[in-house]
Amino acid sequence: MKDAVKVSGLRFERNNLLILDDISLSFPAEASTVVMGSSGSGKSTLLKIAAGIIMPDGGRVELYGENIFGVGEKKLLQLQRRTGFVFQDAALWANMSLYSNMEVPLRYHYPDMTNEEVDSKINQLLKRVDFREDLSVRPAQLSTGEQKIFSFLRALVTEPELVFLDEPTTSVDQSSADKIINLIRKLKEEGKTIIAVTHSARLTSLIADYLIVMGEGGVLAEGPFSEVIRTKDQRVADILSDVLDMSSSYDTDLLELLEPEFDDE
Amino acid sequence: MVARIGHWVNGKIRDSVYAAGYFYETIKALLLFFRRRQVGYKVLTMQMLFTGVEALGVISLLSLSLGAVIIIEGLILLPQFGQGDLIYTILITIITRELGPILTAFIIIARSGTAISTEIGNMVVSHEIEAYVSFGINPISYLVVPRFLGVTFSMVLLNLYFNIFGLIGSYLLGTLMQPIGFSEYLNGLLSVLTTADIISSLGKSAVFGMIISLVSTYYGFKVERATTEVPQKAIKAVGHSIVLCILANVVLTLFYYL
Repeated sequence: MKDAVKVSGLRFERNNLLILDDISLSFPAEASTVVMGSSGSGKSTLLKIAAGIIMPDGGRVELYGENIFGVGEKKLLQLQRRTGFVFQDAALWANMSLYSNMEVPLRYHYPDMTNEEVDSKINQLLKRVDFREDLSVRPAQLSTGEQKIFSFLRALVTEPELVFLDEPTTSVDQSSADKIINLIRKLKEEGKTIIAVTHSARLTSLIADYLIVMGEGGVLAEGPFSEVIRTKDQRVADILSDVLDMSSSYDTDLLELLEPEFDDE
Repeated sequence: MVARIGHWVNGKIRDSVYAAGYFYETIKALLLFFRRRQVGYKVLTMQMLFTGVEALGVISLLSLSLGAVIIIEGLILLPQFGQGDLIYTILITIITRELGPILTAFIIIARSGTAISTEIGNMVVSHEIEAYVSFGINPISYLVVPRFLGVTFSMVLLNLYFNIFGLIGSYLLGTLMQPIGFSEYLNGLLSVLTTADIISSLGKSAVFGMIISLVSTYYGFKVERATTEVPQKAIKAVGHSIVLCILANVVLTLFYYL
């Protein structure tokens, strides 16, 4: 299987603190990879570097075989048209209407699009989750859950092949989380590549083909989901149980799956 | 002690290199701005509306009152020294060449400079800048260049407006104290106004506009994570903008007399 993203020798420091140290990973195309790890292990940073949002202090990031931090602006734009990123805190543009939040990326990537085409594209997306809010309002007028859903839709506006998800179901109510999970499942069914950082056992058990476990600035385990969760490595088992305990109130699927393995230890 | 000084010097050098790189990237993006059909035009329009149109009220008040004060002082003091004719030279020197550009700059710093650095700083904290990057939208070409152009154009236009209102204000008050025909007043002004005065005035306002927009956006982007950094950087943006505008004013005034 071809790799959608490949990172090698990745190093990232912030305020003299080493966050990522010599990370090398591959994310297969048309598959879902879930990244888990304790808080502060560098998961979100890794995701942003892989998406070309943050520049690393060392190492290389290849997106569909192209060095994302070495290509020209035009090529970079083409590459980023193929990706979408859902931020942990939605990151909607607060000083724009909801409509403009969708319109700006569309117009930037497709300057020849007519107003009717833009309208139709946006309405088509909104129908995916039956989003009925007035699009002339600012994002602050939406609930946190709605903001997250809308941010998800905005990430899909350029029809990306690869979607990066940073804690897509965190800090949202159960109903919004369900809508988001359904959206992610549909994307998976459509054959999109998904790279998700999450603490949700439910989401992980539903979508993960591959699992990466991070800790102490490095990768502790990686591979097919079914193999990684059966690891004999106590550090990985500890991190997974810690991470999953945080979401155990309603995300029980993976805990159930993991528990017998940990009991065997 | 030596280590601390070294650390401070290193920090300053790093900041200067970063600022130079920022300036270079802005100029590069500026050259490409008009060649691209892009959504940045909307940001440019909004910036001109906010910086230019919405500042007209305060500029009118300031310029009218300043013009009035100069004419009162001039008409009272200058005849005592037998230099009543110098009033036109003083009006052009003070309003057109000196105070017009710098006072307009101070108002723009207070209104738009703080607004720009605060807005961008908040966008950094809420990851909105990262959201632009995730779509391949270059924040320099989408956020900085329209603000650079908007503030610079607005500065030049507001300075023109300041001049017109300042000179009209001085005429209106001057006629109350010493009735004078408008054409006589206008001829008096035109007789001392030179092309160099106009170039100096507009040149200064353009340079101040560039300084304010670059410094404000630069400090907006210097915010890293916390919302508490936003007002701190806005204060720095204001302080540095004022200092740089004053220094640029001195240099440009020297150039005028060279």
